[in-house]
Amino acid sequence: MNEEDVEDQGLKVVDAFDLDDELRAVLKPGEMVRDAQGRRHRLPRYFYEIPSHEVALKTRLTPHFGLNEFVLADLKEASRLHDYPRYVPCAVRLLAFYLEQFRHAAGASVHIAVNGGYRSPSHKLSQNATPHMWGTAADVYRIGSNILKTKEAIEKYNELAEDVSDEIHVLPYGHVTGRHADDHVHLDLGYITLIPREISEDRMEQPQENRPRFAFEERRRVDRRAATVPAGEE
Amino acid sequence: MAARAHHKSEERLPVPPPKDSVASSEVSLYRNVLKIKQEHELEDLGISFFDAESTIQWSYNADHYFHAASTMKLAVLLGVFRQVDRGELALDAPVHVRNRFTSIVNQEPFMLDLGRDADPDVYGHLGKTLSVRELSYWMITKSSNLATNLLVEVVGIPTIQLALDELEIDGIRVLRGVEDQRAFEAGLNNEVTANGLLKLLRLVADGKAYSQKACDEMLSIMLDQQYRSGIPAGLPKEVRVAHKTGNISTVHHDAGIVYIEGRKPYVLVILTQFAAETGRGTAVADVSRDIFNALAGSAYE
Repeated sequence: MNEEDVEDQGLKVVDAFDLDDELRAVLKPGEMVRDAQGRRHRLPRYFYEIPSHEVALKTRLTPHFGLNEFVLADLKEASRLHDYPRYVPCAVRLLAFYLEQFRHAAGASVHIAVNGGYRSPSHKLSQNATPHMWGTAADVYRIGSNILKTKEAIEKYNELAEDVSDEIHVLPYGHVTGRHADDHVHLDLGYITLIPREISEDRMEQPQENRPRFAFEERRRVDRRAATVPAGEE
Repeated sequence: MAARAHHKSEERLPVPPPKDSVASSEVSLYRNVLKIKQEHELEDLGISFFDAESTIQWSYNADHYFHAASTMKLAVLLGVFRQVDRGELALDAPVHVRNRFTSIVNQEPFMLDLGRDADPDVYGHLGKTLSVRELSYWMITKSSNLATNLLVEVVGIPTIQLALDELEIDGIRVLRGVEDQRAFEAGLNNEVTANGLLKLLRLVADGKAYSQKACDEMLSIMLDQQYRSGIPAGLPKEVRVAHKTGNISTVHHDAGIVYIEGRKPYVLVILTQFAAETGRGTAVADVSRDIFNALAGSAYE
């Protein structure tokens, strides 16, 4: 895919109920899952479809966060989800917005770990419901040049994240295995489902192929052009 | 020479047989090995050797179990290529590089001391990914503990042990990854015998560890070994060795396949154990040199 194609394509919003059987089986749209405390949550249904690695690299969700940073996963992720087109819940853009604020507060670049952004319900780390499955959680392993491996560093940035917004929830040092070892800051926004404005939730209304293809990226670009290009030139 | 395992109780210098006989070479080798053991104040020494050219086998204390140190990484490599050969794992599959592992004792989390594990090639990727192929490469060539533990997580200890069982390799016990201090304190260690490692390496050398392709890949990695103070240090520089070393404060091992131009390779495993205050010395290289000399009949020094 060349650069011009990438520019023109934008991101398509898909209703995961309309995806093929294999994808539905791993994304589990609309299914209820329990978190570690036994509370039930409904998995997201609307996803951005990322057609290629190039598009993932080029799509900026905020000035300092690219879409590709939220979909990095290793072999713990279902193998089907390593192939393009790939899918990420639409709420990821909210996460990017808050991470941008966090980055500003930290005064340094914020690096999301592999498996630290979106994780499908079929990911091997998805044993209980976690906001990672909604695209609303990030595991940050490095801030600037500081690799987060000590209790002091992790607690410092946890406090900073909580100060950014009441919407941001962090997990304490050693939250996964209990004690003594940790290697990242976890922050999340909870179980947020985002339904893009262009989408009608009535599945019977029109077939998938006729649904709007325009996601926020393209809308923004059109808005920018409208503001700078004289009328009639395009 | 015939296959023979000598035991510590027999360690009196034998009477030399007539010169130029096979028995003479064997006795000479045995005398040299005992001498090296004494000179280097080794607490234990295990050697196993097989020459594909002459089909000569020779061993000393070869069924004695030693702390495996990093020689266990050969078993991990075998487990990885078992999965690759079965199509259950891709060498290009990305693996998240992170420094957090779980002890086999009480599932306690632990981290590696990256200051000790001098492999920036791996820990420089913390938070990112390396492929299974890259991790395998650094696990063997630079003995990366981080790469090893990541691969142990990928394939699992049961699969590694299954690979050893499938290939009927006795003498290698893999219980855990590396630097699991809790397990070490509980006496739960990976262990190897010289004969066990010899069997594994012979299968790889013969293309019989799952498939010729898998063996070629494993050999290619082992030939790039960067630590050469063991078996290669006792050989002429032009000799190629596909090998894996193992070192902790009280053991120094090397297990390798030695390729000499114009002849079939020989497989050699040398395991040494000593008091921490003694240090590792050059015992492995000295044994390697003696074996080479016995085979070549040369006076290489």
